[in-house]
Amino acid sequence: MTQPPKTVVKRREFLKVLGSTGAAATAVGCSMERVEQLIPYVVSPDHTVPGVSTNYATICRECAAACGVIAEVRDGRAIKLEGNPDHPVNRGALCARGQAALQGLYNPDRYRGPMIRRDNRLQPATWDEALARVRQGLDEARAANAASGVRFVSQHENGSFPGFVDQWMAAGGFGAHIAFDAEADLAARAANQAEYGSAWPALDFTAAHLIVSIGADFLDGWGSSVAHQLSFADARAKLGAAPRFVYIGARRSLTGLNADEWIACRPGSELAIAEGLLGAVGGTSTGTMAVAATASGVTEAALQRLADELRAARPSLVLGGVNTPDAYLVSQAAARINRAAGNVGVTVKPDQGSTIGGADGARALAALATEMNAGTVRVLFVRGANPVYTLPKAAQFAEGMAKVPLKVSFSSYPDETSELCDVVLPDHHALESWGDSEPVRGTLGLQQPVMDPLFNTRATADVLIAMARADTAMAARYTNAMYRDALTSRYGGGQGAFTAALSTGLGQGSALARSTAASSAAAPAAPTAAPQAIAGDGEFFLVVHPSPALGAGAGANKPWLQELPDPVSKIAWQSWVEIHPSTAARLGVHAGDHLTVTTAAGSVTAPAYLYLGIHPEAVAVSLGQGHTAYGRYAQGLGVNAVDTLGATYDGGGRLAWTQAKARVAKAAGHSRLVSTEGSARQHGRGIAQALTAAQLAAGETGGAHHEFIGDASHEFLPGLRAPVANDAQGDLGSQSSTKKGMYADDHWSGMASRRWAMTIDLSRCTGCSACVTACYAENNIPTVGARWQGRSLRPFHTADGAGWDSTPGANILKGREMAWLRIERYFEGGESGETDFETRFVPMLCQHCGNAPCESVCPVFATYHAPDGLNVQVYNRCVGTRYCSNACPYKVRYFNWHGYGEAERRQFAFPDPLHLQLNPDVTVRGKGVMEKCTFCVQRIRDAENRATAEGRSVEGDEFTTACAQACPSRAIVFGDAASEEWSVARQVEDPRAYHVFEELNTYTAVVYLKKVNHPGGPR
Amino acid sequence: MATLVEPLDQRPNVATANIQLPAVESYEQVDREIAGTLVPTTGWFALLGISIAFFLWGAGAWVYQIYWGLGNAGYNPPVMWGVYIISFVFWVGIGHAGTLISAILYLFRAGFRTTIYRCAEAMTVFAVMTAGLFPIIHIGRPWKFFWLVPYPNWRLIWPNFKSPLVWDVFAISTYLTVSATFLYVGLIPDIAVLRDRATNPVKKRILAVMSLGWRNSEPEWRHFARMYLFLAAFSTPLVLSVHSVVSFDFAMAVTPGWHATIFPPYFVAGAIFSGIGMVFTIIIPIRKFFRLQHIVTINHLDAAAKLALFTSMVVGCAYLIEFWVAWYSANEFEQAYFWNRVFGQWWWAAWIMLSCNMIFPLSLFSQKLRRNPTWLFILSILINIGMWYERFVIIVPSLSHEFEPWQWSGYVPSWVDVSILAGSFGWFFMWFLLFIKNLPVIAIAEVKEIIPPRLRSHAPVADIDVTGHHVDYSPETPGERE
Repeated sequence: MTQPPKTVVKRREFLKVLGSTGAAATAVGCSMERVEQLIPYVVSPDHTVPGVSTNYATICRECAAACGVIAEVRDGRAIKLEGNPDHPVNRGALCARGQAALQGLYNPDRYRGPMIRRDNRLQPATWDEALARVRQGLDEARAANAASGVRFVSQHENGSFPGFVDQWMAAGGFGAHIAFDAEADLAARAANQAEYGSAWPALDFTAAHLIVSIGADFLDGWGSSVAHQLSFADARAKLGAAPRFVYIGARRSLTGLNADEWIACRPGSELAIAEGLLGAVGGTSTGTMAVAATASGVTEAALQRLADELRAARPSLVLGGVNTPDAYLVSQAAARINRAAGNVGVTVKPDQGSTIGGADGARALAALATEMNAGTVRVLFVRGANPVYTLPKAAQFAEGMAKVPLKVSFSSYPDETSELCDVVLPDHHALESWGDSEPVRGTLGLQQPVMDPLFNTRATADVLIAMARADTAMAARYTNAMYRDALTSRYGGGQGAFTAALSTGLGQGSALARSTAASSAAAPAAPTAAPQAIAGDGEFFLVVHPSPALGAGAGANKPWLQELPDPVSKIAWQSWVEIHPSTAARLGVHAGDHLTVTTAAGSVTAPAYLYLGIHPEAVAVSLGQGHTAYGRYAQGLGVNAVDTLGATYDGGGRLAWTQAKARVAKAAGHSRLVSTEGSARQHGRGIAQALTAAQLAAGETGGAHHEFIGDASHEFLPGLRAPVANDAQGDLGSQSSTKKGMYADDHWSGMASRRWAMTIDLSRCTGCSACVTACYAENNIPTVGARWQGRSLRPFHTADGAGWDSTPGANILKGREMAWLRIERYFEGGESGETDFETRFVPMLCQHCGNAPCESVCPVFATYHAPDGLNVQVYNRCVGTRYCSNACPYKVRYFNWHGYGEAERRQFAFPDPLHLQLNPDVTVRGKGVMEKCTFCVQRIRDAENRATAEGRSVEGDEFTTACAQACPSRAIVFGDAASEEWSVARQVEDPRAYHVFEELNTYTAVVYLKKVNHPGGPR
Repeated sequence: MATLVEPLDQRPNVATANIQLPAVESYEQVDREIAGTLVPTTGWFALLGISIAFFLWGAGAWVYQIYWGLGNAGYNPPVMWGVYIISFVFWVGIGHAGTLISAILYLFRAGFRTTIYRCAEAMTVFAVMTAGLFPIIHIGRPWKFFWLVPYPNWRLIWPNFKSPLVWDVFAISTYLTVSATFLYVGLIPDIAVLRDRATNPVKKRILAVMSLGWRNSEPEWRHFARMYLFLAAFSTPLVLSVHSVVSFDFAMAVTPGWHATIFPPYFVAGAIFSGIGMVFTIIIPIRKFFRLQHIVTINHLDAAAKLALFTSMVVGCAYLIEFWVAWYSANEFEQAYFWNRVFGQWWWAAWIMLSCNMIFPLSLFSQKLRRNPTWLFILSILINIGMWYERFVIIVPSLSHEFEPWQWSGYVPSWVDVSILAGSFGWFFMWFLLFIKNLPVIAIAEVKEIIPPRLRSHAPVADIDVTGHHVDYSPETPGERE
C-alpha cells in the first residue's frame, strides 16, 4: 500500500482505510477469525453514505472500442462495472473483458510505486529519483544531439491521449510516437477508410436479409464486439424474418459458431472467395467461382449457391476481416461487394461510424526495433503496450531494447516489456484516470477516476506534463498542470459543462486528433496490391487467432478471464492446438496428446483439442497465453502462439497471425484438457431446443406444449406456465388454509404475490460469456484454476509412452469450477463426417424450481423456498452434505471444496488487493458450504427496500440481475413473472418457451425460448 | 477331529435347534476353551498394533481434510458423494447380518446361530460405530454435524424431517443403541463366567459390576430369557428398517439409477449378504487360530453359507430387475445410465459387483465348497469387495451420468479417501480385537445349552452350584438338580 506523504490523514486516504477495513471484515465475516473493528466516520464526506453505492460514468479501456461504463463505488472502492445505458456503442451492455477491468485495477501484481533498475533488478524508488533518472536520460539524448532518438510506444486508445503524446514528443523535439494496437483490424480500418470514407462504419445487422462474414469475428474481438452483438442479436430476434448468417473461414470462431452455415475454406483462400462473390454480385472483379473453388477446397456449386443467395437477398451485409496477409484485400473486396449489392447506407452506414484511427501496427514497432538495434534510439518510453510479448521473435524487439540506454515504462503491470526497462513510472489504472474518447463522431465519452489511486502511481499524462513544465524548452506549451485541466479547457462550455457531462459520461465534441507529422513515421506502408499465398514447409495451415477472453494477451493476468472457459473450446488456464477429428484419427492423436507445431519461425507444443470447426488441413492455436512475466495469473501457462510467427504483416501493418504452413508432430507428453465440458452432445435430451424458420412459419413450436394444472391462474404463479411451491404440504399446500404466513397472497410483505423468473432467448444468445464474468464480479465467486490452487498429478499412457501429467487447474479438471452461471455449448450434427454442424449455447444457472428437488432433501433447511419463488441457499446454515447437488437435475450447485476466501490458504482466490473488489452485499462463502445462483437476491432486496423507503412498490423492469444487465445480446430478461408490468411476464408467453427437463415436474422459473435456425437450401 | 470336516452321515437340520457339538463333552471344556481365547498372544498384539496404526493414519488424513477442506478427497462434481458415503452404506450393511443372526434367527430357532451369533453381534456394534463416523467425515462442516439432530434451541430451528438424511440420524442412532444393548444383555451370563474365573481382583470387580451381579438363579434366567426374547423381537424390524432408511437416501432423489422403488428390499438383502460375508471373514480365522473348529463346526458354516447363497440370489435378482425396469420404463435417462454402468465408463466396477455378488456365490450350490472353510474365506473377501463396489456402482456412476450431459464426469478417489477407508478398517478391527481379548467371542451360556446334559453324557466333569459358581464334579454330588 502507498504511504501518505504527509502525516495528515486526507479524506480519500481515510475513505480508503475505511473501505479496505470494511471489505476485509466482509471477507473474513462469519468465520472464526478475530473480529476486526470498523472505524466510524467522525465527519461524513459529502455524498457518501456508508453502505450505499455511488456510481460514476467512465470509459472501459480494455479494448479499442472504448465502451461507456458505470462504476459502482462503495465506500471508496469500485466493486462492479456495468455498461453505460446512454453510451452509443454499448448501450448498457458490457463484455467479459470489460467486466474484468476491475481485476486489472486490483491486480495483486501491479507495480505499487516507481521502480528503478539497480544491480540489474527493478527496485522500489521514489518518484523524485525515478523522474530525475528520466530527465537525466533525456538531457543526455539532447546533449548528444539525438533528441529524435527519444521514442514513445503507447497502447493506442480511442481519444485525445495519442494526440497528446504526439504533441508532447513534438514539443520536446523528440522522435515519432507509435500508438500500438496489437488486436485491432487495422487492415479493415484502412480498407474501410479507402472504400467508405470511414474507418469503422456503423453496421446494422437488423436491416440485412443475409449476413456473410469472411473471417470477420464481429462477435469476439473484431471491431466493437458489444455494439455488433447488440445489433446482431436484435437481427436474430426477428426470428423467422431474421437474416441468415453464413460464415466463411478455416476455423469456426465464436462468431462462426453462431452462423447458420459454415463454409470451411482453406486459410488464405478467403480472398479468392471474396473476389468470386464480388464478381457474382456484379462488381469489378477478376475472380471467378472456379478459381475460388480450386483455391478454397469448397465445391463450386456451394459457392455458386451462396452467390445466388447474395444476389437475391437484398440488402445483405458482407464483412471481411481475416488474419492473413491478404487482410486488406479481403476487407476491400467485402466493402466492394457491399457497394455492388447496394448495402452501403442501408446495412453499412459510413456516416454514423466511429472515427477510430491513428493506431499503428506491429510493422511500425518492427521498424522501431530495427532502429533500436541500429543504436539510434536513446530513450524509449513504453506505456500500456507489451511489444516484447506481442511481436514475433524475428522483429528482435527485446534485443533492440537491450541497446537503448534508457528504457522507461509507464506500465501498471510487470509485463515482458516493462521487466526489461530501467525505470518504471507506473500509470494509474484507467478507472483511476482522466481521459476521453470519441466513440461516435461528434460524441465524447468522458473518462473520470472512480476512486482514489490504489497505489503510489501517477497518471502518465500528468507525469508528461510535469516533465514538460520542468523543462525550459517545453514549459511554455503546458499551461495546465494536470491532464484533467487540459481536457476541460478543450471541452466546449468549459469547466461547468464538463462537470455536468461527467454525470452521464457523455458530451459533445471531438477528441484531439493525432498530428499527422507524428504518425507519418509510423504509418503503414501502402497496402499490398498482390495477394500473398500462405506458404511454408509443412502439411498444415497454421491458424493463429486472438482469444475472445484474453485478446492478444492483455487479459491473461486477470483470473476471471483465465477462469472463463473459452466460448469455443471451453478450455481455461491452458493453451491448446485445435485439430480436426479426422486429421487427428489419421495421425493417431487423441485429445490431450501433445502436439508440436513447427514453422520456419519457431515451434510451440500444446495439448490437442479435437474440434469439428477447424478445416481438416489446418490446425489452430490461440493467442494470449505463454507469458514469461505479467504477474502470477499469467506466467507459466500455455504457449505463446506468436513464437510460431515470422515478421509478416498485413496491409494494415498488423502482424498477420495466419501466415504460414506448419509441420505438426506428436510430442511425448499428455495433458488433460482443463475443460468444463462433460459431453458436447445433448443426447436428445432437449436442453437446447431449436426450430427452423420454416417450422416457426408453419406455427409449429417443435414439441408438445405442456399444460399444467394451475396454469397461469395458480395462486403462486400468475404469468408462468407452471405452479410454484406445489410440493408445499399441510397449511402451505391447502388452498383454503389461512395459516400460510408469508406464503399467503395477502401477507403484508407481498412476497407471495411475486414470482421472480427469467427468460433466456436462445435465438439471441451468442455464447459470448459476458454474463458469466458479470456473475463472478457481482457474487464474489472465487476463481479456482490457478496453478497453486491445485495441480493434477496423474499417470498417463499414450501410444508413445507413459509419464506424469501435472497440468495446473486440478480443481477445474475435477469439475470444481464455481461458475454459478455457465454456458453449455452443444453441437448438433457433424458426427458422421459432414463439414457443417450446428451449435447451441445454453446459459445454465439455478432454475429456481417451483418444485425443487434440492429443497426437500436438505436435512437442515439450508435451502428452502422463499415466498417470492426464489430457491434460497443459507450459507450459515449449510453443513455441506451436498445432497442438494445430487438431487439437482440441472447440476447448478457448487461446493466450496477449499477455503477460497481464507487468506492463509494456498487456494485463496482474492489475494490483496483483489479482495477490495468483493461485493459487500454478498457473503464470501466459507469452506464446506454449498452455493449457487441466487437470482442476485441482494439486488432484489435492495430494490424492495428502496421502494419501501420511498413509499412505493417495485416498478416493472426497475432493476435486473448482473447477468441480464451485462448481456450484450439482451438474451436474458429477469423480473416478476406474476406482474404484467415486467417484460418477463410477456416473454414467458412466447410460443417458443420451454422448461428444461419439463418432464421432471420441477416447474422451473427459468424459461428458455427456442433458438430459430435458418438452414437454407441444400448445399 | 478329522471327522468333523466330513459330512455327517446323519445331517443335522440346521434350521432347527438340532445342532450337535459331538466333540464338546463338558461345561468345563466350554468354559476353558472359550475363555482361553482371552489370553493375549504376540499375534494379537501385532494385529492390534497394525489396526491402531491404520486407524491413526486414517484419523490423520481426516484432520488434514478438515483443515484443508474436502477438496483433498477425490470428489469430482457432480459426483458429490464418494468413498465416504460408499463406506457408510458398506459398514451399515455389514452390521445387518449380526442382528439378523442374533435376533431373527433366534426367533426362528435356527440352531446354527448359537456359535456364531456373538461374533456377528459384536461385529454389528463395531460396524455401526464405524458407519456412524462416515456421514460426519463426509460433510463439509463436520463441526456442525449436530445440526442434523433435533435438539431444542432458542432459534426454534429444527431439522427438515422430509430429508432422508435426518431419517438416517434416527435410524443409525437407534440401531446403535439397540444392537449395543442386545449385545450387552446376551453377554451378562458369560461375563459372570469370566468373573468367576478371574484371578485379578480389580478385573474381577469390574466383571462383577458388568455382570450385574448375575447369580445364575432361576428367576434370573427366566428374566434373562424374557429380556432376550423381547430384545430379539425389538431388533428384528430394525434389520429391515435401518437399511431401508439408508436406501431412501438414494431412492428419494430424482437421480437416474437411484429413484427406484426396489431399493429398500434390495438394500436389506444386500446388507445381510455383505454381513454374512464379513462374519465368514471374521469367524473362520478365529475358529482356526483358537482351534475352535469343534465348536464352530463345519455344519454351522455350511448353514450360514446357505443363507449367503440365498441372499446373494435375492441381490442378483434385484440387479437384474433394475435393468429390466430401466428398459421397461422407457425412461431415456435411466436407460442411458444403466447402459453406461455396465457397458460404458463404469463397466469394470459393475462387473466386479456382478461377479463377486451374483456369480461367484453360486459356487455355494456345491456342498463341497460350502464345507470348505478356505473357499468360504476367499469367497467372503470377494463378497466384501463386491458389496463395497455395489455401493460404488450405485453412487458414482449415477452421479457422474445424470440428466445434464454437459456435467458428465468421472471420479477417482484421492489418497485421503483411501486413507480414511483404510483407517475405518483399522478402527473396526481395533475394537473387534479388543473385544475378543476381553469378552467371549462365542456365547458360553448358549453353547452350554446345546451340549449334552451332564448325566446323559458318559463323562460329566463339572457342575454349577446354586450361586452360579462352578464346582468340581464328584460322584457324591447329585446329578441333575431339580
